[in-house]
Amino acid sequence: MSSFSRSAQQWATFARSWFLIDARMQPPGKIATMCSVRLQGKHKPIYHSLSDCGDHVVVINTKHIAFSGNKWEQKVYSSHTGFPGGFKQVTAAQLHQKDPKAIVRLAVYGMLPRNLHRRTMMQRLHIFPEDELPDAIRANLTEELPQPRDIPRKLSEYTQEEIDAFPRLWIPPEDYKMK
Amino acid sequence: MTSRGTPSRFLRSVLQNGVGRYVCQLKRISIIFSKKSQSSLGYVTLTVCDYGVASVTNVFFIFLVFGFQSLQITFLVFPFQFSRLAVNGNTKEELITNKTSQQVLEVLTKLTNQSGLDIIRIRKPLHTDSPSIQGQWHPFTNRPPSLGLIRPQNQHAE
Amino acid sequence: MVFLTLSCWIRSRGPDRFWKVQELLKHARHFKGRRNRCYKLAVLAVRRAFVYSTKARKFKKRNMRTLWITRIAAATREHGMKYPALIHNLTKCSVQLNRRVMSDLAVTEPRTFQSLAKLARARQQEGFRAALGDGTEPPGVLSRVMLQ
Repeated sequence: MSSFSRSAQQWATFARSWFLIDARMQPPGKIATMCSVRLQGKHKPIYHSLSDCGDHVVVINTKHIAFSGNKWEQKVYSSHTGFPGGFKQVTAAQLHQKDPKAIVRLAVYGMLPRNLHRRTMMQRLHIFPEDELPDAIRANLTEELPQPRDIPRKLSEYTQEEIDAFPRLWIPPEDYKMK
Repeated sequence: MTSRGTPSRFLRSVLQNGVGRYVCQLKRISIIFSKKSQSSLGYVTLTVCDYGVASVTNVFFIFLVFGFQSLQITFLVFPFQFSRLAVNGNTKEELITNKTSQQVLEVLTKLTNQSGLDIIRIRKPLHTDSPSIQGQWHPFTNRPPSLGLIRPQNQHAE
Repeated sequence: MVFLTLSCWIRSRGPDRFWKVQELLKHARHFKGRRNRCYKLAVLAVRRAFVYSTKARKFKKRNMRTLWITRIAAATREHGMKYPALIHNLTKCSVQLNRRVMSDLAVTEPRTFQSLAKLARARQQEGFRAALGDGTEPPGVLSRVMLQ
């Protein structure tokens, strides 16, 4: 309490930060874990479940998320409209085709605690399919979080010198037939 | 029983000048009684010397109010705590009707030993008005705020 | 001064049942709906409330400890460690602060908590430094080597 007045200290302690997460080539579950911790405020030592101390999280590039394994085809998102015969099941690929924000949003929603603060916390989650942000949101950002996974380089991103210099275990013979 | 709704306060030193420092408190004691009534004989037989022995450290004044022809006897203690500016003017009343001199002495000793703060539930055994010396935690305590606008990562790369 | 209240109280006591009901409704006055004025409903509600408050005395300790641990974990991650590593290494350093004090330190005295995290970090990497390091100590941390 040295250089602050008490009310200024209070404002500083409970100030909301805005975090930026780049979801390009990242697993949605890892992104959602980072989001849900920050939306709940569990990264602050002043955390209390009733004190509404969560931060804002901006997720960009959700169109370019990366599922591992066969999740794009075999992970199923189910819902029910409430009408008879209204049970809908879509695969992750179909859902992503329809709405590129939906997979991340559903993953975060599922990781938040099931209470009345859940919708409030979801309102502090801002998802953008590409990396264009409105200026109002861009001006608020305070920190960019590191990505949980390293982005692998595609073969097309390697230069010819790097490909030639890559150690080869076995050189196929001339008459080798590639399938 | 839940303590909800019951009056409570935080732990406080009497003079708000640091816990544990003893400051002698000036108390005014008014004793209202009747000389003739049977129920006030307990006080009448009590001598001031008894009381003085019981509380040597306290400065006290006793106002003897004679001449009331009432059946009730009220014992009033006004602890005044003189701090720099504030005066805690709490009052406390105790009945000494039909009490022997020994019981009256006990009441008198109890009242002089009290601090004058409200006797209600204390919320925590610890309290301080200025909890933080180094400055309370805030979001930028351990990570300095980044300067300027933050760009998405691929724009850094380009 | 005529003090008549007490004697009036003594004289004006009603039937026992009335006072019994009042004794119980005293605990139910802040309840919702008819439970705060109808005896039949209030009896059940008060009984339930007392059971809850009895259980809550045990739960409070558990919940507070959970909250402290959440706060310490949050503060520890700001210093690049994890909660179990911090606690384990502080125990090995014979730091006997309990979780309540440590969570208070994390909020009100962040520099002190930072030094605790540094100490735990040094203790955690002690073996690695002995095996791989050049024999130097991390700056700003008093260790057993320096004390000898």
